[in-house]
Amino acid sequence: MANTDTICAQATPQGNASVSIVRLSGPQALSIAQQLTQVELIPRHAHFSTLLEGEGNTTIDQAVVIYFPQPHSFTGEDVVEFQCHGNPFVVKNLLQELCRYGARLAIAGEFSERAFLNGKLDLSQLEAIADLISSGSEQAARSAVLSMQGQFSEQVQSILQQLIQIRTHIEAGLDFVEEDIEVEVKTSVQAKLENTRQEIETLFAIAQKGVQMQRGVSAVLTGLPNVGKSSLLNALSTEERAIVTEIPGTTRDVVYVDMEICGIPMRLIDTAGLRTDAGIVEQEGIERARKAIENADLVIHVIDSSQSNITPAELTKTSRRLDVYNKADLLTDKSALPENAILVSAKTGAGISRLREQIASRLQLQASDSQTPFSARARHLDAMRRALASMQHAQQQLQIDAPMELAAEDLRIAQQCLGEITGEFTPDDLLDYVFREFCIGK
Amino acid sequence: MQQTFDVIIVGGGHAGTEAALAAARSGAKTLLLTQNIETIGQMSCNPAIGGIGKSHLVREIDAMGGVMARAADLAGIQFRILNRRKGPAVRATRAQTDRALYRQAIRSIVENQTNLAIFQQEVDDLIVEQERVQGVVTRMGQRVRARAVVLTVGTFLGGRIFVGGQTHQAGRAGDAASIRLADRLRELPLRVDRLKTGTPPRIDGKTIDYSKMETQPGDRPLPVFSFMGEVDQHPRQVNCHITYTNERTHQVIRDSLHESPMYSGAIQGVGPRYCPSIEDKVTRFADRDRHQIFIEPEGLNTHEVYPNGISTSLPYQVQLELVHSVAGLEQCHITRPGYAIEYDYFDPTGLHPSLQTKSLAGLFFAGQINGTTGYEEAAAQGLMAGINAAHWVKQKEAVILGREQAYTGVMIDDLVTRGTSEPYRMFTSRAEYRLVLREDNADLRLTPLARELGIVDEQRWQRFSWKRDTIADEQERLDATFIQPGQLSAERSTQLFGNVLEREYSLASLLRRPETRYRNFAELSELGPLVNDFEVIEQLEIQAKYAGYMQRQQADIEKTKRMQETVIPSEFDYASVKGLSNEVLQKLSAIRPHTVSQAARISGVTPAAVSLLVVHLKARGQMRKRA
Repeated sequence: MANTDTICAQATPQGNASVSIVRLSGPQALSIAQQLTQVELIPRHAHFSTLLEGEGNTTIDQAVVIYFPQPHSFTGEDVVEFQCHGNPFVVKNLLQELCRYGARLAIAGEFSERAFLNGKLDLSQLEAIADLISSGSEQAARSAVLSMQGQFSEQVQSILQQLIQIRTHIEAGLDFVEEDIEVEVKTSVQAKLENTRQEIETLFAIAQKGVQMQRGVSAVLTGLPNVGKSSLLNALSTEERAIVTEIPGTTRDVVYVDMEICGIPMRLIDTAGLRTDAGIVEQEGIERARKAIENADLVIHVIDSSQSNITPAELTKTSRRLDVYNKADLLTDKSALPENAILVSAKTGAGISRLREQIASRLQLQASDSQTPFSARARHLDAMRRALASMQHAQQQLQIDAPMELAAEDLRIAQQCLGEITGEFTPDDLLDYVFREFCIGK
Repeated sequence: MQQTFDVIIVGGGHAGTEAALAAARSGAKTLLLTQNIETIGQMSCNPAIGGIGKSHLVREIDAMGGVMARAADLAGIQFRILNRRKGPAVRATRAQTDRALYRQAIRSIVENQTNLAIFQQEVDDLIVEQERVQGVVTRMGQRVRARAVVLTVGTFLGGRIFVGGQTHQAGRAGDAASIRLADRLRELPLRVDRLKTGTPPRIDGKTIDYSKMETQPGDRPLPVFSFMGEVDQHPRQVNCHITYTNERTHQVIRDSLHESPMYSGAIQGVGPRYCPSIEDKVTRFADRDRHQIFIEPEGLNTHEVYPNGISTSLPYQVQLELVHSVAGLEQCHITRPGYAIEYDYFDPTGLHPSLQTKSLAGLFFAGQINGTTGYEEAAAQGLMAGINAAHWVKQKEAVILGREQAYTGVMIDDLVTRGTSEPYRMFTSRAEYRLVLREDNADLRLTPLARELGIVDEQRWQRFSWKRDTIADEQERLDATFIQPGQLSAERSTQLFGNVLEREYSLASLLRRPETRYRNFAELSELGPLVNDFEVIEQLEIQAKYAGYMQRQQADIEKTKRMQETVIPSEFDYASVKGLSNEVLQKLSAIRPHTVSQAARISGVTPAAVSLLVVHLKARGQMRKRA
């Protein structure tokens, strides 16, 4: 693949920070940067420069600009780094301006890919990629299994079979004209195609809904009654969502709040107190809690640190668990707590911001997982979208009576797209996905 | 006869003659050894060249200076274009050929080729020294030395003919099988298996009542096969005829199935599913009340005809009864009984993409020995094996055509990567880049490469260059010539271009419209001067109308190019790649793919495994680009 484009992207994490770095890489990097800064850039020299927007009337920002000539740069190409103020608007304007001068926004992982192709990654980094591929494909398999469960998988298979059947007839009509075989007539092919296309469309709509529901991660609050789960939910969300009372077992239903925790979209679910001696009324609530625990990305187990029994309940023994010791305000002797225990007070707010960080760091992994290309749903949606487009194109070709080989080509592509869902996808794609998703060496 | 050559070709069939000619054109001193000089260029099966997928191969051979298309032009007695309306990529030329004329044409070209000697002598053994082939030993005990040997022995290796319960060893009806050579090859570490094919009985045309059959004339204007061919090279043209089997035919077959060697279990070899015997057709498609039979003339100077569609190995008496049940054949006389032939082939995954065997350096295989069927498939392999044998001797790099470059590349890649369990025949649906690999652009795809290799003559190069340049010049002119809104009446504009032009358009953009033909530009003299070469116009129109599809296929091609260019060193140790599953490891070690993209096409090799391979090659600094 010829890497002739000059690409740009923010190299530091999204969101507010004191400094953001924007990276520009490619053959045009130097000339674009010089136009923007109006400065003769010296290699590997930090220039303090004013970045002007458009006609030069407005200032985007004042930034430190460093030029790394090829091959001694991160990607092995000419690279210019802009260290500007960590303001999302500044970054957005800067990227816009770079694109105006002829750069384009990088696809995720594109910098790493270029670095890889230009031999800029060392052996250990390459091995890290190899490991990622191994684990990535395992993860892909896992998420594919999740997404492929039940009906969805069956429906894709059935659509694929229909498509193959249509293709069989079309291809036979192309390869075996002399053989006196009865291939479907065009009108029948058109009808079947329309039928199949509608089925994909329906499935696509359903799958899309699924994806929206799946976006973000979920955490569930568990613990014995009256350890302060609901208070903690309120403290974390800073909203009076759940009713907080002093009577054990008040929360009978599952209550949740959608919030962002250090930038990660998260659904925090409060459960009925898990008790084994619960009355019949509470049974249902407990059952729901069990389900919520099973499906959660993180189980925040709340313990009343002021009580003598602080052993976590059997029910919530899972590797996804984060133990939180509440009611720090009532605690006098900390010696009974384990080392590094997360001690908070939902009432006073003490330790809450540290808890947020802990939750975020535990969720970070899941959060990135859910957006990986290996996240089957995103990939499947994309494949269906492309399959649909190809089928529509095939239908148009049949409509205008274009040569049959063109519709045949469109349907080949459509099948290839659906084939990606059921398991085959081209080898090079996987590597592309790896580089898009994992920023190796950054 | 001198006793040392650069390249020896064993076999004078379609693979052998193309191999011998290509090796000689490549500058190698070449010897063609055949059992029988009279059968050089013999068409053992049906008397036709081309057809869908196959004609693409013929044009590719032609584009690289091969002979099949030229011989077909000299011997073709009925020409047809198949799939005319289904698009240029699947459009295919087919020629009914006079067997004798075809043989003569091939023989004459072979005899006149410099660097090429012919000798009639059966080969019994190979000379192997220092784990390399060094020549052959003939039936007379002659030792002829050469650094490369190309075996193109067709169905002659361990060939066994079946007619009903009778069986005998033979390479083709009337010719001996190569038994000793087969035994010798079976000693090499090559995986041998059996395939079968069949022929129908031949019939005396004087005893046929053609009035009961449909007539199938050839196309007018007369098509031409070779890029260098002319219509006036064609001999007199004749018609084919079509008739059908019927319920009575099927009953005859069903009643005698137990006498068919295929059903009695005498034949172990696997036959082609797309070219079944009439026994197979009747059994597997029991609901069909008739099957088509093409009555193909064998030549202008013979009455013999080839009833294509009823290949059979039933006993002769049943064959008689069978043909007599067919309309028009009631009184016919069988001149030669049909037969099935079972023969050895070598698992083609034992070959490098150059068609050199992996187990014995200097030994090349081409044609049916690799599990293919068809003259065209054989000839295309012969061409590549001939070129590569010559290159091997001169220590030049092997010539490997890509899947995006030629059907020949698709076929060889399929064979060496995936192997085959039935006789391999070309179909257009095998080519993922079908829209790019057309009959009409075989010259544009391959002649420049052939010129670089020095295997096309000056005359062809001149003509090719003219065509290529004319296309480029005219394309440029179409891009730069504009038609203005008021230049045509609304009515004419709608007729010619589909609507009233409301702004200026380049001719190139108008040509992309489905309703616009190049000749429509003749309406306005200021849009000219137009070219009037049919082939040039054809390219301009296809390039314009298929532009979107071409771009997409081109993008796909680019995407896989990197993997294609990543060569895996031949001594590469797959076990050193951490994380490969045992199954993948075994497959890769057995097939030893030439490039990463070939590895990716091996069945069972997962994308993750390919990625691991790429990273590993890169990490060890073993990734090198092919020049």
